[in-house]
Amino acid sequence: MGEARGALLLRDLERAAYLAAAPVLARMPAVIGYRVACWRGDWACQLQAGKRAELERNLRQVLGNEVSPAVVHQVMREWFRLASCEAVDVRRLRHGAGPLRRLVEVRGRGHLEAALAAGKGAILCSAHFGSYLSAFSVLHASGFPVTTIGRWWYNYDPGISSAERRVWDLHLKPVRRHQQRPNIEPWPGRLEVAAMAAEALRANEVVTVCIDAPPLNSDQERAIEVPFLGLRARLLPGAVVLAQLTGAPLLTCFMHRAVDYRHQVLEISPPMPVIGETVATFERFAAEVSAAIQRNPAHWYFWASAADLADLGLTSRLPGCADTAAGRGWLDGIL
Amino acid sequence: METVINDYISRELVQDPALLPLADGTPLLETRILDSLSLLKLVLFVEERFGIAMGETGLLPENFSSVNAICAYVRAQQPGKQAASRG
Repeated sequence: MGEARGALLLRDLERAAYLAAAPVLARMPAVIGYRVACWRGDWACQLQAGKRAELERNLRQVLGNEVSPAVVHQVMREWFRLASCEAVDVRRLRHGAGPLRRLVEVRGRGHLEAALAAGKGAILCSAHFGSYLSAFSVLHASGFPVTTIGRWWYNYDPGISSAERRVWDLHLKPVRRHQQRPNIEPWPGRLEVAAMAAEALRANEVVTVCIDAPPLNSDQERAIEVPFLGLRARLLPGAVVLAQLTGAPLLTCFMHRAVDYRHQVLEISPPMPVIGETVATFERFAAEVSAAIQRNPAHWYFWASAADLADLGLTSRLPGCADTAAGRGWLDGIL
Repeated sequence: METVINDYISRELVQDPALLPLADGTPLLETRILDSLSLLKLVLFVEERFGIAMGETGLLPENFSSVNAICAYVRAQQPGKQAASRG
């Protein structure tokens, strides 16, 4: 028991030290900063045996046992590397996000400009995929008025201490600086979320939404089942309904990291048709997210959370894993 | 105005037939008639039908707690029409 506490303490201290070091890494030449981030990712992969086991179990449960051990090992290692690199991305959002923008190639910028030309705003459907928060910030810093529908997880997870909350708040301050309006946060019982998003769209702004978020308990009855990663997932089709009501075009947006770990490509699709029935339309967007994850599985945030995967309906809930805070260590958010 | 809004909510937003007929004082939030997206539908309808802009400041739960509350809010946003009807 004492050893377990010691190991937990070591992990927590390591995470805190890495977050504290991230601003320094972000000021180094990118080739060095991201190399160190990868080393740290490899080290975290070794150190965090519990999270490694959870990742492996989740990957096998969702992707199937036919996935080879070599592939699982590669995805796990890359997942830790990407999590470490993401912390550096966030800290490179200083000075108008210039240090990060230099490393990100935006493809499909014209699609977004054309979508906004119609004057009804644009909805970017994305996922908890890669450095998605930094991607939205890069877009905003590139001249698009971006507002995100999404909750700052650390404000809602009852397992997070106030000290940890403050650390996350400080770490993510650069993300909050690069957005048109404060996040539109859909906490339970908050009714005005869709209307606030519609307000931003009326002002011809860009609204981003991650459509792969596990539904809250209060939203489960509104969730629909769609094909996802070869299984069926419960997701909320709100982005499609918002587009149907406001007439705003829907596009997809994913940022993936190159093999050198420092360069990234942010891909924006042309507007996708929002015609016909809501479920059928939403299935097409879920399929886009699913395909992006299958192309780059290590980029998906939720591999590390059995509780989130269970809320999505992709896995069965493990005993003793009642909520997302179960089994967490300090600063065990995206690190 | 009460009839128009009540009809719209009853026709478009009420999922549970047991809640019909809808009284103007029925709580729309506690009965879960309104959620985030149905509220947006209602806002768009009210704005178009009564020619007002609700904006973020109008999106308070108390303004949508019942048909009566919605009508009170809309009337408060239509001072010209109110004055005309009083005159």
